[in-house]
Amino acid sequence: MLQFDPVQLPEGTAALRQEVRDFLAANADRTSAPNSDFSSGHDAEFSARLGERGWIGMTWPKAYGGAERSFFERYVVTEELLAAGAPVSAHWIADRQSGPLLLGSGSEDQCARYLPAIVQGRSFFSIGMSEPGTGSDLASVRTAAKRVAGGWRVNGTKLWTTDAHRNHYMIALVRTAPADGNRHAGLSQLIIDLAAPGVTIRPIRNMAGGEDFNEVVFDDVFVADADVVGEPGNGWSQVTSELGYERSGPERFLSAFRVYVEFVRLVGADPERFEAAAVGRIAAHLMTLRRMSMSVAGMLENGKAPNVEAALVKELGNNFEKLLPEIARTAAPLGGDQERFRRTYAETLLLSPSFTLRGGTREILRGVIARGLGLR
Amino acid sequence: MDQVLADAAERIFRDQCTKTTLDAAEDGEFPERLWQLLCENGFQLMAMPDSGAELADLFAVLRVAGRFAVPLPLAEALLANRWLGEEFGGGETNALNTVGLMAENGSSRWLGVPWGRAARRIVGVADDGGVFAGTPVAVNEAVNLAGEPRDQVEVQDVRPLPYAEPAPALLALARVAQSAGALERVLELGIGYAQEREQFGRPIARFQAVQHLLAMVAAEVAAAGRASDAAVAAIGSERFTLEVAAAKSRVGESVGLVAEAVHQVHGAMGFTYEHQLHHFTRRLWAWRDECGSEAHWQALLGRRLCALGADQVWDFLATSS
Repeated sequence: MLQFDPVQLPEGTAALRQEVRDFLAANADRTSAPNSDFSSGHDAEFSARLGERGWIGMTWPKAYGGAERSFFERYVVTEELLAAGAPVSAHWIADRQSGPLLLGSGSEDQCARYLPAIVQGRSFFSIGMSEPGTGSDLASVRTAAKRVAGGWRVNGTKLWTTDAHRNHYMIALVRTAPADGNRHAGLSQLIIDLAAPGVTIRPIRNMAGGEDFNEVVFDDVFVADADVVGEPGNGWSQVTSELGYERSGPERFLSAFRVYVEFVRLVGADPERFEAAAVGRIAAHLMTLRRMSMSVAGMLENGKAPNVEAALVKELGNNFEKLLPEIARTAAPLGGDQERFRRTYAETLLLSPSFTLRGGTREILRGVIARGLGLR
Repeated sequence: MDQVLADAAERIFRDQCTKTTLDAAEDGEFPERLWQLLCENGFQLMAMPDSGAELADLFAVLRVAGRFAVPLPLAEALLANRWLGEEFGGGETNALNTVGLMAENGSSRWLGVPWGRAARRIVGVADDGGVFAGTPVAVNEAVNLAGEPRDQVEVQDVRPLPYAEPAPALLALARVAQSAGALERVLELGIGYAQEREQFGRPIARFQAVQHLLAMVAAEVAAAGRASDAAVAAIGSERFTLEVAAAKSRVGESVGLVAEAVHQVHGAMGFTYEHQLHHFTRRLWAWRDECGSEAHWQALLGRRLCALGADQVWDFLATSS
């Protein structure tokens, strides 16, 4: 049976929460179009301001500019930013997983070169996993790196790379040796400078009209040995160890949160029973999901690798992110000031197909959970 | 929380709550031996103020009871003793006391009384949450859809009890905890059956369609368990009733999905009376509507949030842990 033990936020997090809210109030001009989807607001200036406050790389060692704070403190900051609809996507990936990856598997030299700028909110990273022929079956990547003097030459194509056209680096999973029977062997993670010669970035328009994700083509791109993360050939186990961080955070159930806020505003202080029930139903989901997500943060804080629990939280959270707009839509009253609700609802609905795709599809997550249950 | 109590209860339930006992109870036979065993171990007194146990321990025991579909009105018996207190004969003998709802405030006709037919004293809960003691004089037997007795009882000597607890929320929490336990058992049954049943030359657990159903079930069961824990942890806090509201709603939603999916996994076998699955799924279906359906509690929680206003909703959610 999967365990989600209660956690109590430590002393001091209430004060930190208030600091974040004060900061958000002072930067209200940056959140004037609130969207609680973590990948929908790229604002380098906002990220730099967060960096000044010490709210990026919060858990990292002080030697690299971090604050050595707990996962719970990071949790409080990230959930406050998301709930307010702050534009966080510029630094999001670097803070959530690129930094922790380098700390866990990277060299001291890599940490010293990359982490301080991430912490300052001035260096942004993208994920380089998917390819034209590689989605859920990640081990099938065909982008390959060939040994050359002092490093590697990379050729291939990465796809659906969020913000590659705005970010500085990609950590790409590439094949550095043939599979030879074990398809998880021979994979490596490389830090690729997205401004390097031979990198071509083409934006892809999504169905909501946004241009956030890209196709990134590598044509003989040179990557120095010093930018291979961990040992060559160790890429698969590194990639899978990122998943606990990637899958359980508040961004996995808050993407549609602003729809809820506008729904409550539309319904008003004196709702019909049906409307009140819709408001309460959504709250009940949110309260439970947040607690499960914090339980996983507690496991991470204790040094565990809760990959199955994280998959389960993401599965529930993503389904809820799709359910929320549906509950709100079907219960929304006809009158009142509809404009804000309708706009937020429409924006979120158009983004919603991505909720159960990014970071591992629903089908992959259910497979991970099933394995955890001993079914495969 | 006292794990020793929950473990002791589990040993008794595991021993006593066989399919035969469950079937007999559904045929109207009060499980006397099980009840006497529990009394010998002092469980009938555990929710009384000076028992030494926390109220949270009661709900830990009820969760275990849910795992075994215990065919007793355990929550009602123990809460009745608490509310009757020594002054009104709570826990005085091993006789069963129970809790029902007053048809209307002040009425002597009490409804939905679990095992009212076997009870010595009954506590009636009024609309406003007030609790009253009554002595049964006539019983109209009825059952819920799980075959659990939910009688209509005429009472006399109705007297108000001096208890200032949110009785409706505590009763709802009892169903939440029982359901969380029963859901865990239903998941186990589903996994076990999928691993043992073979079709097309292999266990059906090997089929992705079955794996995905059970993965969804596991997620729902985990959510229900976490929601139940949170509401139990809120006992005594000012948000208790709202936390119960959230839990009753969340658990109720899980019930529908889980029962449907695990019956599908069990195929026709799980549709037979002979199989034990229905003792759990029918209770889950009954309990989600008892002590306030999802919609009842959702509306209560929703009204509070609407009164707070859109810009305070996040603060409400974030200040719970």
